[in-house]
Amino acid sequence: MSTWRVGVDSGGTFTDVCLLEEESGRLAVWKVPSTPDDPSVAISGGAREALDRFAGDSALVVFFGHGTTVATNALIQRRGARIGLITSEGFRDLLEIGRQRRPDLYDLQADKPETLVPRDRRLEVPERILHDGAVLARPTPEAIQAAARHLAAMGVDALAICFLYSFRDPTHERLVAEIAAQQLGDTFVTCSHAVCPEFREFERLSTTVVNAFLGPVIKGYLSQLAPRLADAGIRVEPHITQSNGGTITFETASELPVRTVLSGPSTGVIGALETARAAGIENIITFDMGGTSTDVSLVEAGRPRTTTEAEVHGYPLKVPMIDIHTVGAGGGSIADVDAGGLLKVGPRSAGAAPGPVCYGLGNEEPTVTDANVVMQVLNPRELLGGRMPIERGKAVGAIGYLAGRLGLDINESAAGIIRVVTASMARAIRVISVQRGHDPRDYCLVAFGGAGPLHASRLARELEIPKVLVPRNPGILCALGLLLTDLRHDLSVTRRLRLDEGAQGEAHEAFASLRGDAEAWFEREGVAAERRRLVASADMRYAGQNYELNVPLPELAGEAQLLDALRSGFEAAHQRLYGYTAPEEPIEVMTFRIEAYGLVDKPKLGAAPDAGPDAAGARIGEREVYLPELKDFVACPVYDRERLAAGNRIEGPAVVEQMDSTTLVLPGQSATVDPHLNLVLEFGEGA
Amino acid sequence: MNDGAKGGNWTVDPVTVEVIGNAISSIAEEMGETLIRASYSTNIKERRDCSTVLFDAQGRTLYQAEHIPIHLGSLMGVVEAILERFPADQIREGDVFIGNDAYTGGGTHLPDIVLASPIYHEGALAGWATNLAHHADFVDRGHDHIYQEGLRIPPIRLQRAGELQQDVLDLILLNCQVPRERLNDLRAQLAANRFGIQRFQALCARYGTDFLNRVFDELLDYAERRMRAGIAEIPDGTYEFEDSFDADELDEALNFRLRLTVRGDEMDLNFIDIPPQVRAGLNLVETALLATAYYAVKTVVDPSAPPNAGLFRPITVSAPYGSILNSAPPGAVNGRTNTCQRVVDLVHGALAQAVPERLVAACNGAVTSATFTGTNPRTGEFYVYLETLGGGFGARASKDGLDGVQVHVTNTSNLPVEGLEPEYPLIVERYELVRDSGGPGQWRGGMGIRRQIRAIDHQCRMFIYGTREESAPWGLFGGLEGGRYRLERDPGVAPLVSGVGELAPGQSVAVVTPGAGGYGPPERRDQALVRRDLAEDRISPETARRAYGIEYGEESDVAAKAGR
Repeated sequence: MSTWRVGVDSGGTFTDVCLLEEESGRLAVWKVPSTPDDPSVAISGGAREALDRFAGDSALVVFFGHGTTVATNALIQRRGARIGLITSEGFRDLLEIGRQRRPDLYDLQADKPETLVPRDRRLEVPERILHDGAVLARPTPEAIQAAARHLAAMGVDALAICFLYSFRDPTHERLVAEIAAQQLGDTFVTCSHAVCPEFREFERLSTTVVNAFLGPVIKGYLSQLAPRLADAGIRVEPHITQSNGGTITFETASELPVRTVLSGPSTGVIGALETARAAGIENIITFDMGGTSTDVSLVEAGRPRTTTEAEVHGYPLKVPMIDIHTVGAGGGSIADVDAGGLLKVGPRSAGAAPGPVCYGLGNEEPTVTDANVVMQVLNPRELLGGRMPIERGKAVGAIGYLAGRLGLDINESAAGIIRVVTASMARAIRVISVQRGHDPRDYCLVAFGGAGPLHASRLARELEIPKVLVPRNPGILCALGLLLTDLRHDLSVTRRLRLDEGAQGEAHEAFASLRGDAEAWFEREGVAAERRRLVASADMRYAGQNYELNVPLPELAGEAQLLDALRSGFEAAHQRLYGYTAPEEPIEVMTFRIEAYGLVDKPKLGAAPDAGPDAAGARIGEREVYLPELKDFVACPVYDRERLAAGNRIEGPAVVEQMDSTTLVLPGQSATVDPHLNLVLEFGEGA
Repeated sequence: MNDGAKGGNWTVDPVTVEVIGNAISSIAEEMGETLIRASYSTNIKERRDCSTVLFDAQGRTLYQAEHIPIHLGSLMGVVEAILERFPADQIREGDVFIGNDAYTGGGTHLPDIVLASPIYHEGALAGWATNLAHHADFVDRGHDHIYQEGLRIPPIRLQRAGELQQDVLDLILLNCQVPRERLNDLRAQLAANRFGIQRFQALCARYGTDFLNRVFDELLDYAERRMRAGIAEIPDGTYEFEDSFDADELDEALNFRLRLTVRGDEMDLNFIDIPPQVRAGLNLVETALLATAYYAVKTVVDPSAPPNAGLFRPITVSAPYGSILNSAPPGAVNGRTNTCQRVVDLVHGALAQAVPERLVAACNGAVTSATFTGTNPRTGEFYVYLETLGGGFGARASKDGLDGVQVHVTNTSNLPVEGLEPEYPLIVERYELVRDSGGPGQWRGGMGIRRQIRAIDHQCRMFIYGTREESAPWGLFGGLEGGRYRLERDPGVAPLVSGVGELAPGQSVAVVTPGAGGYGPPERRDQALVRRDLAEDRISPETARRAYGIEYGEESDVAAKAGR
């Protein structure tokens, strides 16, 4: 009997299934149309079809991982629970006031994101704890019951509870949850200390409310999916990816759905990271360019950068997530000339339908894809392996009109669109690298998504990134990532602590307590002892600053060395980010963190034998491609990615086509196929 | 869209201009992030009361990172002021200038300390990295004239050819009440400029300064074209508007009048009959007036035009020298932003007659500030806690105004309660929206904020400044006015005098900020929206009846009281 791992990435248009046979390392890919009304149909059906086709009856599924956009879509479309909220007295409007800033500095018509709990469902109870834990007011059972009755009468199906300083003393939140649960039956109840036990009340509140908003949605979704998977013969405990790039069981996801809002994009990062790792590369910048948006992130020494301060669809979320920066520009983004005569690309997009002008489905405004078709970097006759006919003439017409307004010729205008897109991508990458103290030149760019490989070389040149890796299947990297993802649970607690002699015991104890929680989680998830791994870190600052730097502790040092390790780690991080340290200033820890991993075996992806540098066997033709570098159309060889073998080498300029993507190799650049069939692009000397 | 491009006589292709423009704005924004993250005073680190700007070698604004509009004025004259004092050949690589004086130092009030660093490429001056941060210091001072308001610093060197001038630093720190915070904020400011210099130099190395200068010309011309195209869409004519300005420091409210003329693609703002400058910290220096006027015009003409010096060109602004809107030394200026907000109200009131669909009713019209100081009994150290409070944002032509936000010339964040209380001996008792403060109308004005603060175990001095206590934020086209500013004092707390008062241990004060005006007659408001506002306790049953003519009957159950 063969054992298989199954990854399913459920997107808006397609559901991708990726299978891996553990013994042989054999990989199989299957794509089915998504079923947006009930995604679980396509997921379970697609998985079954793929298993039948590639694995046969006797296959045993030992792992099932799933990436989903259910949470993020519910948030975008504001289709979530009817929430009631209970806060400390005097603070029911905090959710609405937030940080008190307006959404746009100059635009008088801008609006704040819709408040997820209307004011009449935000109630206060007499409750107050102070920063040192002193109790000013304790909520009475009568007040709690009255509030719960009121919310029950308003028909809420989720309850969020957030009190000041609950990270320090959760007693009051627990009390309210307990009493309210009796009144509210099986309503989804969530407390801020359980969702994110960290200081800064608005961000904690916002996270808790989003958790409540998603609670019933995710619970309902998973309760549909689980039996369907069982029916499809998948008996193993299914897992779902979180925004931090690790997986959790359906049960944990049902309690903390807010941790899954970036489930999809984070899986792509893991897929990129593991693909690069297999190729021996640990420092990468991921570049996932799709039709309407582009996600970039940075991975250092095999660890994605995570953040706990992100804003998703307008809502601050204080949960660990991979630090993914999104730009509203992709292949379908529309190019236009603004009132001052400058060329702008995006954020408007032609989407999948009608799509770019060259699809001939009715759109008349030129897009990034049209520019690539005019320049013939993209196949000017057909895309998607022949499934999508292309009308280059229409793209030429649309870009010609734009060219007239710019005062440039058509080819320069098309090239201009690409330059503007490249500049905005470069800017996004600077945000996640330079702005966080990392030099992009030390990283390898991993390009995926439909449009990533097309723009990666120019982007790399702009940022002086020496090397680009294009995975074998850039379009299904997310599904592949699911097969390679560790279980992960992030734990944290805010304990404000000055780093002086007396702090040793308390710091040690804070970590010890988190470690205890982590062990309990390992038990619940059934992680074997030899597969458990803990990574400790602390959020620290000079006493007086208000933004903490996250300082990883390579090893959870013994009590005696702990303070020294914290101090030197912090000083190094401060020096790197800000260029100075302040030795006479006291340092304080604000939040202690532990990441708990349940390691899964990384399947050995099969390595192909070296077939030598000659790529002639994969050459399928030649076409004229406009290269602004040479200011002309130049005859470029076209290669079929399917036929490229390990060891093959291509000198630019050249184009490599495959079903779901196209890779451009620039003049002065070479592309080599590595043993895992990744395409590795490098600039030669003097390029 | 339009053929603006034809107006452009590009010497560099428009794509390159866009690409370099992107690089410049990202440098300024990254400088801002560095400053906010590394700084110490709550005012900078949490409330983001700071700005970063890149200038070209001549001192023209290339880009301001979008934090606080009024800072555009603060930084506007700084490079010119430096170049006036120091011939270019006396300025060296590694110099950093510091200044704060409203009349000579590039600031608009003394707490805003500016650091300006020349950027050199191949031995020649290529640009300036500058930043400004509002230091929460110089408290409990007088405001009869600027000498009382703090230390005046003309632009002088804090760093000379890379070497910190310790004597200058010592002099400044001795004049500050919280010197440790000041020192560490200045370190963060230095770090921000260092970062800006490195990135700008990388740009120079790549493109060459001659080429960059041509691109900078293009960037400014581009902003100018955008503004001109926008002004041209506004009907020609002269539009007048008058409003009143009150403050605790004034004996009586003052009247301001604006005559605004649109002619083709240019706009003239003439502030007339403006009262003489006052012996209170309410005067604007010229750069503060200009920054405010440019802000107000930009919001109506083209909110997304790049914030560089080109956008100023089609706009002329004048106010009598020696008046409260264009003061002469030694006029005091500390609380200038309340006055600035009224200037915006004037510009918006005038333009509402020309392009009603683009305008909003009067916003809260204030930068309500509350500063608490004293000796922290937990540490024995002197503390300063400064907060500015948002309020209502005016109703729009097709939607309600925003509740509880900062408006116009400011956009600072609040300080989280869980960040504030561990640091200062104060308790925040409530932080909420104020019922009935949103001006009724077809579209309702935004609601004001109530923030109540209690002093713990110490005698606390407070300095609370606001406006719109007498005149309320006005409505537009039949919309009614919004709620007014007021203080709610515990029994036993004496009324404040010119904004200054005291809290004994255990006493509290609540600051109630103004709401905003409504847009269109209230009787045209959708009844469902009135009922929603009533159910959500945003309006009282009485307002529903009086302003909207809706009897509430059974719907009056005031939900929020249920749990209390």
